[in-house]
Amino acid sequence: MPLNKLTTSIVLAAILALGACNDKAADNPAPKSEAAKDAAGDATIASGLADATKFAAAAKQAGLDATLAGPGPYTVLVPIDAGFDKLPAGALDTLMKEDARAELTGVLTYHILPGAILATDIDKAIQAGGGKALLPTMAGGTLTASKEGNAIIISDSAGTKARVVSGDEKKSNGVIHRVDAVLMPS
Amino acid sequence: MTKWMLAAGAAALAIVSPALAEKGGHGGGKGHGGGQSAKAERGGGGGGQKVEPRGGERAMRAPQRTERQRLAQRDDRPAKAQRVERRDNDNRRTRLARAENDRGKDRRVEIRTDRPNRDIRILNRDDRRDRDVRLVSWDRDRIDGVRFVPRWNDKGLVRGFADGCPPGLAKKGNGCMPPGQAKKLVGTALPTALMGSMLNGPYRNWYRDNDDYLYRWDDDYIYRVRRDGGLIDAFFPYQNQDYYYYPVGMQYPDYYNYYNVPYQYQSYYPDGGDYLYRYGDGAIYQVNPSTGLISGIAALLTGDPFAVGQPLPSAYSVYNVPFGYRDRYYDTADNWYRYNDGYIYQVDPTTQLITAVINALV
Repeated sequence: MPLNKLTTSIVLAAILALGACNDKAADNPAPKSEAAKDAAGDATIASGLADATKFAAAAKQAGLDATLAGPGPYTVLVPIDAGFDKLPAGALDTLMKEDARAELTGVLTYHILPGAILATDIDKAIQAGGGKALLPTMAGGTLTASKEGNAIIISDSAGTKARVVSGDEKKSNGVIHRVDAVLMPS
Repeated sequence: MTKWMLAAGAAALAIVSPALAEKGGHGGGKGHGGGQSAKAERGGGGGGQKVEPRGGERAMRAPQRTERQRLAQRDDRPAKAQRVERRDNDNRRTRLARAENDRGKDRRVEIRTDRPNRDIRILNRDDRRDRDVRLVSWDRDRIDGVRFVPRWNDKGLVRGFADGCPPGLAKKGNGCMPPGQAKKLVGTALPTALMGSMLNGPYRNWYRDNDDYLYRWDDDYIYRVRRDGGLIDAFFPYQNQDYYYYPVGMQYPDYYNYYNVPYQYQSYYPDGGDYLYRYGDGAIYQVNPSTGLISGIAALLTGDPFAVGQPLPSAYSVYNVPFGYRDRYYDTADNWYRYNDGYIYQVDPTTQLITAVINALV
């Protein structure tokens, strides 16, 4: 092999290897600093979304996978895949487009609450509030919690209801509650 | 459901490619300008701080932004056409930038709250024009023209550009300020009237005066000022806006591209590694140092008005203290505890007033 071809091959291989490393780094949403890694822990909210494929994909699209792998702490209302299926045809596809990332981020952060809130905490607040309790969201708007029988119901400002179907999945950086619908800021 | 059905169509028509949105900025160019030294901290940029028995705990005073945004979003006008005037104890604020919006003249909305001491109101800019002494004639809404305000209403998903400055048009003479004009502020002297304009609310703890820098603000920006010489070293907007984020993939605005991560998160998100970190409306963004593109959202912040002496925001009736602190900070008849943006706050259950703030992260 002529020297110039060999050199070219080596350089090309190095570039490809470097590119692969960069891609790998980009795919890993975990925080880079040791302090943030320690604070986030190993079993993060991000790592607990394997079965919530649509929410996880949306979070990644919005760049929020890094948030959910970070120190937090957050309480995340994760719509199950069937909850996304309740949306009108094409709605999720529209939000998942690259140029709708800002809107998608607004929708997802409406499902992320500051701090760690367990179901019992919501129950107590509902009782203290005479049947309802406001919940803060990272998006800025509020949600309303109430009870229907033993189930916790979370309502958005337009009145859309999401039932907590599985709650209190404690993670190293917060807690996950699964809900059966997507809530919308308005 | 109806709004969603409309949303898909409306969004498809309304959405403009973010590729057009990128203006100015080469990302990491100015990036590291003065990442603050925690050890050099002098403590809070002014008085009003209260220390609780446990270490690192500081009192804060309130900004009021959430109510402004919520009211603004109820209104037909763009949210950013309105401003909050905060009448706090340190009401000496002067503004550097001059608002130019002429819509909704003489409109004044008093905010009603169920809490005491909620002394804020939304004013149209015209209400304050007579005492507007800002040095240059531009508006942060307009220099932020790359951003937009997504809204959900009965027409579905709509997108309204702040003050009519859509992506890609910021440089085309439509009134939006060119980045170069913003850059001119850096290196100029902070007006004497602003030297006493201490940060309030959570921002006082987020940005602390240190041996090298002072932090001061006006209605639009926080200014980082060199202690030696009094020149503006950096500036960036502090106001949070509901549902308002820089989308991943866009360029972080060049004119704000300074290390501005709030104090309590600086150990988590330092510059100098794989990413730059920059605070913007409600989030700490992860920025690619080579391209200047936002690659992720490292953390979310509410910016809610938690401050000692101020009422607990009504949405925080639910206990939300992180698991690692629940054995020490649990609700009793005498004290409640609530978490927000890196701090745990102590609340008097009777008065609903915040009585102390505890540093939870650093």
